[in-house]
Amino acid sequence: MDYTDTAERISQKVRAKGHEVDTVKLEGKLKRLVEEFGVPPTEAERTVMSELSREFSINGLGTAAGEEKTLNQLVTGEWATVETKVVSLTSVPSSAVAQSGILADSSGSIRFVVWAKANAPILSLGKWYRLESAVVDEYRGAANLKIHSGTVVKEITRDTVLIPKITPIQDLSPGIGSVRAKVIQEWETTHERMFQSGLLGDETGTIKFVLWKEEGKERLTPGMVYTIYYAGVDEFSGRYSLNLNPATVIQEEGDITVNSGDTSFSGALVHIAPGSGLIKRCPVEGCNRVISRQNYCPVHEIQPGFLYDLRIKGWLDNGEETKEILVQRETTEQLTGLSLDQAREIAENNPLGMEEVFLRLRDRILGRYLTCQGREIDSRMLVNACRFLPFDPQETAALLNRAGGSP
Amino acid sequence: MTGSAKGGFPRRDLTFEREPARRVFAGELRESRIHFREGDDEKSPTYVLLPSGERCNRVFLVGTLTEKKKQGEQNPFYRARMVDPTGTFFIMAGSYQPEAMQQIARIEPPAFVAVVGKPNVYETPDGAVLISVRCESVTAVDKDTRDRWVLDCARATLDRIELLGNTPDGERALQEYHTDPALFRKMAYEALSQLSL
Repeated sequence: MDYTDTAERISQKVRAKGHEVDTVKLEGKLKRLVEEFGVPPTEAERTVMSELSREFSINGLGTAAGEEKTLNQLVTGEWATVETKVVSLTSVPSSAVAQSGILADSSGSIRFVVWAKANAPILSLGKWYRLESAVVDEYRGAANLKIHSGTVVKEITRDTVLIPKITPIQDLSPGIGSVRAKVIQEWETTHERMFQSGLLGDETGTIKFVLWKEEGKERLTPGMVYTIYYAGVDEFSGRYSLNLNPATVIQEEGDITVNSGDTSFSGALVHIAPGSGLIKRCPVEGCNRVISRQNYCPVHEIQPGFLYDLRIKGWLDNGEETKEILVQRETTEQLTGLSLDQAREIAENNPLGMEEVFLRLRDRILGRYLTCQGREIDSRMLVNACRFLPFDPQETAALLNRAGGSP
Repeated sequence: MTGSAKGGFPRRDLTFEREPARRVFAGELRESRIHFREGDDEKSPTYVLLPSGERCNRVFLVGTLTEKKKQGEQNPFYRARMVDPTGTFFIMAGSYQPEAMQQIARIEPPAFVAVVGKPNVYETPDGAVLISVRCESVTAVDKDTRDRWVLDCARATLDRIELLGNTPDGERALQEYHTDPALFRKMAYEALSQLSL
């Protein structure tokens, strides 16, 4: 392999900073790294450059930091120089951080953090900056640009209009994302700092969204379509959610057809789990936990004013794969023909009580073929439609042909 | 949408995978001899290798319960015979399967039943090999469900035969049983022929 070009490239960069290097020596170093130590050529170039930058105390050369990159070219662990616009500033999570937010250029966007110790000038929203020798790092699975004491920050003038690329919900990955989506559900907030949470959907799928309490934030209206620029895509337990706090949210006209993410699965019901049939729930607002036969809620203790509910928990099996299913009241009633009122009557007038309801449900559905439709969450299917799968004589003919065909 | 655990805490593997219940005709299950345990743990699952080339830890069977017999004084258990278009399954439920025992007690043969259970291979002192299915549940069902199962089982059998020799279990089955695919096609064909078109 020939190292002349690489060595020449390095020496030019160093010369530009006013230092002289021996190109032949550089070639030797590169050759040694690549051929003796098996270092990939690009990595060898980086190593030699960083060695030189240390030797001459040059900033913004060493690593790939000298190389100007667009945001979509950034690689975790590398130094980089970028020209970028501040498109969002977010509240800082800690006193070690001076500023945080989102940077964008025409290629993409990235979260950034300015360390308090960096002594960097305060960045203003909407302005363009040249950031020399920033570090790309990973935080909670998403790339993040760190502005530290070695970073040179220069304000620049650009009149490029940035139009963020809209990403289909299905294709979002941790980091920053812009979506056009409809608010399809609004959930009860589970935290006092939470302002609003719910589900957004587009043609490709759905994603949870969260808006934390912050001045000037406005609630999204269920059923409306929004274009959301620069939202944070977070990952938690393998699932994604959209943080709308850094985002610019624009209400749109029109409607979109949401893909609710429903899947369908058919098989035999091979097991009905305890906790199926008639159950009691805690009546305390927002609790709704299943309580014991003695009306004991793990959180709210004895609750004589419990509410009855009907459900099926079980396993649906197609011979290759087994799926846990959870069927809520309405669908349970439709499938079994047993209503909640009837179930309660059976339980109240029978010596076996609630167990009698379980046994009757079991005898009606266990070992039967079912088709279920619903949303899959953590490998459990929340069923919203379910029916018995009938015998289909046409299938017999097809299988006879297959079995009778020549080997 | 599985995230990388890079840099974070290793996530506990919470996903428990239930063994699927295989569909198998009596004519095939009867021929199974090879059984093994996967792993050294006492709780590791045990499998029966089917001649059509798939391991099974659990089966789902639908057929006609033709005979049941209660045995044992101290530890009573049920033995029963269940018939499909290709032969007879021997099923049992003991005191460790109280639910299945009670279910069998309530069903009067002849009746269509659906069985979920685990197959076990036994060797008698004179060297004969028997397979019986220890029931997890036994439910009375209708003829429609039985017919649906015959379709399902025929399809599963044909699927397995087509993969024979292309999977590790399929290769092992070929070696151990010298499986003749034509035999199983015939079995599926004859089972299907008994259904009303």
